[in-house]
Amino acid sequence: MAEDKGSILELIKKVLFTDFVKGLTITLGYNVSRSITHKYPDEEKWVPYRRFRGVHTLNRTEDGRELCVACELCSKACPTQCITVIPMEDDTGRGIADRVAKVWKVDLVRCLYCGYCEDACPTRAVRLSREYELACTDLSCTVRQREELLKPVQVPESFEGGVVAKSEFLRSKRGIKVKVDLSSTRKRPL
Amino acid sequence: MPDTSTILEFILIIVKAGAIAMVLFGLPLPLTWLERKIAGHIQVRLGPWRVGPHGLLQPFADMIKLLMKEDIIPYKADKFLFVIAPLLAMVPAFAVFAAIPFGEKVLIPGLDYELTLYLSDMNVGILYILAMSGLGIYGIILGGWASNSKYSLLGGLRSSAQMISYEIAVSFAVIGVVMLSNSLSLLDIVRAQGGNLLHWNFLYLPVGPVWFFIFIIGSTAEINRIPFDLPEDEGTLAAGFHTEYSGMKFAFFMLAEYIAMVTVSVLAVILFFGGWNAPFSIPFPIPPIFWFVGKVAFFIYLFMWVRFTLPRYRYDQLMNIGWKILLPLSLVTVLVTGLMRLYL
Amino acid sequence: MIEQFFFYMFAIVAVVTAVLVISVRNPVHSAFYLIVCFLQVAAIFILLRSPFLAAVQVFIYVGAIMVLFLFAVLVLDIGREQFREHFHGQTVTALAALLALFVVMGILLVSGKITAPLGPFDEPALMKNTEVIGKSLYTSYIFPFEIVSILLLIALIGAVVLVMRGQGKESKD
Repeated sequence: MAEDKGSILELIKKVLFTDFVKGLTITLGYNVSRSITHKYPDEEKWVPYRRFRGVHTLNRTEDGRELCVACELCSKACPTQCITVIPMEDDTGRGIADRVAKVWKVDLVRCLYCGYCEDACPTRAVRLSREYELACTDLSCTVRQREELLKPVQVPESFEGGVVAKSEFLRSKRGIKVKVDLSSTRKRPL
Repeated sequence: MPDTSTILEFILIIVKAGAIAMVLFGLPLPLTWLERKIAGHIQVRLGPWRVGPHGLLQPFADMIKLLMKEDIIPYKADKFLFVIAPLLAMVPAFAVFAAIPFGEKVLIPGLDYELTLYLSDMNVGILYILAMSGLGIYGIILGGWASNSKYSLLGGLRSSAQMISYEIAVSFAVIGVVMLSNSLSLLDIVRAQGGNLLHWNFLYLPVGPVWFFIFIIGSTAEINRIPFDLPEDEGTLAAGFHTEYSGMKFAFFMLAEYIAMVTVSVLAVILFFGGWNAPFSIPFPIPPIFWFVGKVAFFIYLFMWVRFTLPRYRYDQLMNIGWKILLPLSLVTVLVTGLMRLYL
Repeated sequence: MIEQFFFYMFAIVAVVTAVLVISVRNPVHSAFYLIVCFLQVAAIFILLRSPFLAAVQVFIYVGAIMVLFLFAVLVLDIGREQFREHFHGQTVTALAALLALFVVMGILLVSGKITAPLGPFDEPALMKNTEVIGKSLYTSYIFPFEIVSILLLIALIGAVVLVMRGQGKESKD
């Protein structure tokens, strides 16, 4: 008898479209709920966690001297050989040692962002920053030179990350840029 | 020489037909936007956003894209039928609206003239609508065949089988409504449901809801919307019957599909939900057309809502629902309705 | 005046498409022309003040039967060579039958016997033609009506029986 009762219940459920109505309520709930889309790049931008591996950056000491000693360990460690380092001697105090890099360039098209260069670096000069907007209109931006990499990055390493920050979308002749405002952030919905 | 009033009447009919055609041509634009917006929100996305405020100009961008697109006719396609098929799909969809009433007479304030809100009050209105909406299938079948492509042909075949299976159930549902209101004219069907909510055919218990569900399920299958959109099953048939179509011809198919959705929504409202009758008496006057548009809008939303809730049925499931559930159910319900009409 | 113009328009299109149905080689094209022909006939029904018949003509013949025709034609595997064969050697018989038809029609026309009276119905009564048809079908013509229904039912059951027999064989094998 119990089995019969179950099947009758099933039949009633089918006739009243209960499962269908359940599905409809779920989708209606989502329909009226807030969307989780980031309004990138117009209004907000995802600032990744610290572990994120983006474009390389070369660090300096607090008094502005380059940390890189051009030991070439990064280029040796690189599995794709995308880093070129040419050392030179300079005792004017540009670097922390007499040996500094004359050329330090990375080919971003070859790079696979593994982070081995970071690990190999004895002075913590090379870091992978949280910069991930790499699109450009020609090949000129695919190779990043030392001068460019030495500039301070938008999201400093001290910043925790893992939040959605307010952003501003800047269009100029040289290309487009998304400026983040790290002071006003919100948690990612979901 | 016909007198002036006849000429005026004639001009008025042309003006009304033109107005309806313009509205129908324009309607798919907001509907595509709405469909994508609802799809977005149900999937917790935003939907179209970047073209105009809230993506409102997106349909116009799409239209420009479709107009500019290269019009491809496949090699070895049957050119005549390939070109004529989109028109075959679109013309019946428009022709249906010749018989659909949008309201009773309206008194134009300044002119002191009574304007009827329908093109013609045929005494076989509902039959005409069923016949015309059934013609739209030829665009799909012939278009699918003429493309000379396997996917398209299968889409067309599925469409014809689906149409035959579900047309019967839909016709039975309409017969049920005709039995309830004793007329084939849509105006009389709506008038019979006047008064309040309880006079609506949907609430003619216990057969009203059954007829409604048979009608809405069958119509969903006939206008090829999810969960019955097997003719254009993206998963297995690329795009089904319109795989080979591009540009404006594709746009015509889409137009026909959206208009068919509007038609079914309008029919559901007229046949089961009292047309332009208010659900309950309200102390202040609300124009009847407001109720009509509101109810139709709800059904259009329902179709979109269901589309993003349910997955697609398998082909054998589709046939099972049509022949083994809807058809016997409608036969039984005809009997019950007849008995109720006779003895209640 | 206008009515006559429309009648000739529909009639000419109907005749032309009917000829095309049997003269084009491609069966799908034939089906297409047959649809057009049926639609013209429906239009002539409207000119004859019988909208019900017109709607039913479109609904049943064009909307359902032709869809089945097309379905069958689409799944048929017809080779190109079969399209060549045109009239299947029936030309002489067909022409003779056509000639005979024209002769009979001519005689009827000349003798003035082809104009059928409208019957007991005037124009306004004909506008309610659905009711008229329904009443006469279920009163004076109830016997032929029931015969036709039984015939259709037999055909239906026959089709089911044929299908069932085929299935039984399959399961035995």
